[in-house]
Amino acid sequence: MLAVSDGGKPDLTMSEFALNKLEEVFTKLKRSVWVFHLNTGSCNGCDIEVLDVLTPYFDVERFGIKLVGSPRHADLILLTGPVTIKTIGKVVRAVKAMPRPRLVLALGSCGVGGGIWFNTYATLGGYPQLEKILKDAGVEVDRVVYVPGCPVRPEAIIYGVAVLLGLLQPKSKHRRVSAVEG
Amino acid sequence: MRMVKFLKMLSISVREGTATRKYPFESPLVTPEFRGKIEVDPVKCVGCGACTRICPPKALTIGNEGDEIVLKYFEGRCIFCGMCAYVCPQKAITVSKEFELATWELGDLYDEVVHTTVKCRICGKPFTTVKFVKEVEKRIDNKVPEDLLTVCPECRKKLTARKIGSKVVGVSGE
Repeated sequence: MLAVSDGGKPDLTMSEFALNKLEEVFTKLKRSVWVFHLNTGSCNGCDIEVLDVLTPYFDVERFGIKLVGSPRHADLILLTGPVTIKTIGKVVRAVKAMPRPRLVLALGSCGVGGGIWFNTYATLGGYPQLEKILKDAGVEVDRVVYVPGCPVRPEAIIYGVAVLLGLLQPKSKHRRVSAVEG
Repeated sequence: MRMVKFLKMLSISVREGTATRKYPFESPLVTPEFRGKIEVDPVKCVGCGACTRICPPKALTIGNEGDEIVLKYFEGRCIFCGMCAYVCPQKAITVSKEFELATWELGDLYDEVVHTTVKCRICGKPFTTVKFVKEVEKRIDNKVPEDLLTVCPECRKKLTARKIGSKVVGVSGE
């Protein structure tokens, strides 16, 4: 497997109290989410939209959402890009550095399903594949929300954060219809 | 001096108003040209697979699932280019303005259209959809020989080779 070297330290665990009351933690976590922007080999389209969200035009600081420079300070990772092979080690270390509860927002069609790079030799193909590697490395992620779009609209990112925090119910539903004669 | 600067800013901000959009509490900025998620009309779709061949990220896929042919649309990989709507011969695909697709489950991002299949009359393998065969019949005014319509491409090759062989050599292809 791909080496994730950080001196073999055990994963940061939540205290028993917090683990038992994870739902309670989430009910309290309704505002002032601090986000860390993690680019995993994105084309910069989604990164520009993330910056757009932080400008006065959309101004997410009115919800207390703030961009921080270190995953150690963050509640939520904004993951953009299809996770290139070169970045896997660094991505796993960044996610591992976050305190529990860990939240991830997989942004863009690359972050969700790999985009047009879903089956190339140099990428993993989005967050679902990265999740398996995180599991192998013993890193637990408490909540994930997938936000499709190429690039994601700033409004869609705000909507995704609202879904993540449980303020809104997701609109998308699995649909399976049979083709009718007509 | 500071007081004067503040007054300057105040006059500007009063003139310009608030730039911030109140997004969750007002409608999003969507232009008429905006392309969001696509919608496949299950009445018009014949399952020809033209959209799956043009789709750059292969968000649209078509494949056999047992006795059914399923057209799958994975919103998570879609880049919202609208090529599928442009290329669809039946005009079954429309581009909607929906972009708030965030969800917990990857499974929620799949849309599927299930087609009934036609089985090859020689090998019995399901190879195309009932609606596609009907559409082909309609487009060529029923001029195609009935025995070729429900034969899969593999068997059709063999059948044609046999026919030519029997004509040229004069022996039956059996």
